[in-house]
Amino acid sequence: MNISTYISGRGWLYRLDPRAKILLMLLLCVFFFLPISLAGLLITVALIVVVGWHNTGKRNVWAVFRSILPMLIFMVIFSPFSGRGGTPLVQIRSFTLLTKEGALQTLRLAGRFIGITYVCTLLFATTVMGEVILALRFWRLPYKAALVITLSFTYIPFIAESFDRISESHRLRQAGPDERKNYIQRLKDLMPTLTSVLVVALRSIPNLAMSLEMRGLGRDEKRTSYHSLDSYTRLFTDLLISIIMVTLLWLIFKA
Amino acid sequence: MSASLSISRLSFTYQSWGIRPNDPLFANLDLRVEEGERVLILAPFDKGKTTLAKIICGVCPKYFPGTLEGKIALFGKDLSELQSWQLLTECGYVSQNPAEQFIATTVEGEIAFPLESLGLSREEMKTRIDRCLARWGLTELRGANEEELSGGERKRVLLAIQEAIGPKLWLLDEPFDDLDPRWRTQLRQTLIEKGKTVVVFASRYLAEFADLFDRTLLLDERRIIEMEREALLARFAHVGGDDLPNPMKTQQLSLASSHQLQARNVVVERQRHRGTAHQPFVLDVENFTLNSGEVVTLTGPNGSGKSSFSRLLCGLDEAKGGAVFLDDKEMSERQLNRNIGYLFQNPDFQIFLPTVEEELSWSLRRRREIKSSEVTRRVKEAAELFDLVLEDTPSTMSYPKRKALQAAVYYLLDRPFYILDELDSALTYHAALTIIARLRERGAGILLITHDHVFAKHVEGRAYTIEAGRLVQR
Repeated sequence: MNISTYISGRGWLYRLDPRAKILLMLLLCVFFFLPISLAGLLITVALIVVVGWHNTGKRNVWAVFRSILPMLIFMVIFSPFSGRGGTPLVQIRSFTLLTKEGALQTLRLAGRFIGITYVCTLLFATTVMGEVILALRFWRLPYKAALVITLSFTYIPFIAESFDRISESHRLRQAGPDERKNYIQRLKDLMPTLTSVLVVALRSIPNLAMSLEMRGLGRDEKRTSYHSLDSYTRLFTDLLISIIMVTLLWLIFKA
Repeated sequence: MSASLSISRLSFTYQSWGIRPNDPLFANLDLRVEEGERVLILAPFDKGKTTLAKIICGVCPKYFPGTLEGKIALFGKDLSELQSWQLLTECGYVSQNPAEQFIATTVEGEIAFPLESLGLSREEMKTRIDRCLARWGLTELRGANEEELSGGERKRVLLAIQEAIGPKLWLLDEPFDDLDPRWRTQLRQTLIEKGKTVVVFASRYLAEFADLFDRTLLLDERRIIEMEREALLARFAHVGGDDLPNPMKTQQLSLASSHQLQARNVVVERQRHRGTAHQPFVLDVENFTLNSGEVVTLTGPNGSGKSSFSRLLCGLDEAKGGAVFLDDKEMSERQLNRNIGYLFQNPDFQIFLPTVEEELSWSLRRRREIKSSEVTRRVKEAAELFDLVLEDTPSTMSYPKRKALQAAVYYLLDRPFYILDELDSALTYHAALTIIARLRERGAGILLITHDHVFAKHVEGRAYTIEAGRLVQR
């Protein structure tokens, strides 16, 4: 199973202590749900995307966005319907299709979703799995729980990667040069792709369990760690920077 | 001599998810492997070699449900009383499909994971990791993740892990597949030097490694068969169909029209390590041609860019320079998508519907000019030709059947050119040659990527190879 998420690089996020990175990730996730202005939320998301671009490259930033795009489309299409009270923006006769409040609410939801996705993926893109586990253990999480969290997060790119490969294969199976597809056809084509992704994902579960056991997970010996966080010498400073960054954002953008 | 592995009266049947129960895979299978012995177990497809390996490792039926009976002992210990994680230093397994065994985010982390399980000190781990990375030519790839590695590099990572752990029994499933000649020789040397008990499962007999093994056995008729080597090889060839005449020798091609695919001054670039820390890998292709009806082989070391070049030829990736031409007309990526059929090494990425019939008719039904009755006729014809049952469920079919289905899908698309990426990997020669013959019978030109020189010799045609970052005709 492919659960590769780490992207080698030398940006400042790579130098930030993983223990501080986890704290920063958690604080930012909380920040997205605080009463902040919509503009502030969107600016913060944009800043995170820029940081991701600078540290991991535009290819990765685009890949992450593409992997959440189907979910975003669903969100943008359907969530305005849930908030139809307020100033109507689009109406069909007496039926209100879209309100200003519904649109703003959708924008906030989408902003939070994008922000949280980038914050989490940046942690795993700039930190090797061994160090993430060590950092989680520093925050008093048992080894197995830390491993489960790491594997769960790294499962998302695995699914995105499978989606890409399966989409490519479908592209090669298109009928002929004359074939033209409308949007409905494209949407219909998504179904077999998603089905294949699901099959590949489900098939990978026993393989992952098998591999973990074959690599000795569960043995009686006390597990050691090849990776160490000793090279990060500014833990206190990095923790402080993380807290200050989020506090500043809160002070600037609070509603 | 004491036995490393002893299996007696083993029977196994996979759990059925349908109405019909599955046939038993093994019935009263016996096997004894002595300590320090190197044994080759030949097994044609569907005979259960991978399942047997997984049973010995203690992960089947635990994760791959079925009914298991019989007794297995590893170094005198009853396997039923052991957990698979306890076997780390007893028995190491290298899968036929390396991707399924990757769990960490970097090559280095992958090797480190089992060493951490053993509770080794950091210094000891570092020594072992550095040594194994160097031995398997992976030092520069230590920070790479699985997705960035070629098939051969993945296999080398698994072999490096095996060497780092140093289990007493090595279970290797098709270990020579994906490896280029240099690394095949290295594996052979390693198996000799280490002096461990080795069981190699293979679906093809590689004569060049005949002297490596103390015994050659056959997995057939649900049990292990031992007999005199020549008789055993003859029986194996018969079971796998390799004693049948090469279907390409007698083939009559119907060339309705003749085409030429050409790549001129193409530069294939692939980002080796994502991010900014490493230089991209580059392959120069000055001139490559493939004509209708031709079968051209492409060989080259692991990670030399064979698959990257194939992706470019069928329009999945963009060339950094030069262009691909069909009949002297420059092709866009979209046009290449529709003209070049690319059979991925892994068929599971290309089949996705609930039945064989739906799978085969998916593309045809989207072509408005073909009537429904004609689609049905073509689908039936293809199913017969590739020996497929229309009602079968692809995801539960055996690997060779899935491979045949993948080929049948492309056969119906009737592309003028096909790229077959390591088609022979995990197929018998005859099965692979039959697929090539079927795809070629209407005059398609075929580019065959392979590491197996014996297989390549079955295909009489031009050959390309990759040397020092350049594609050259041999």
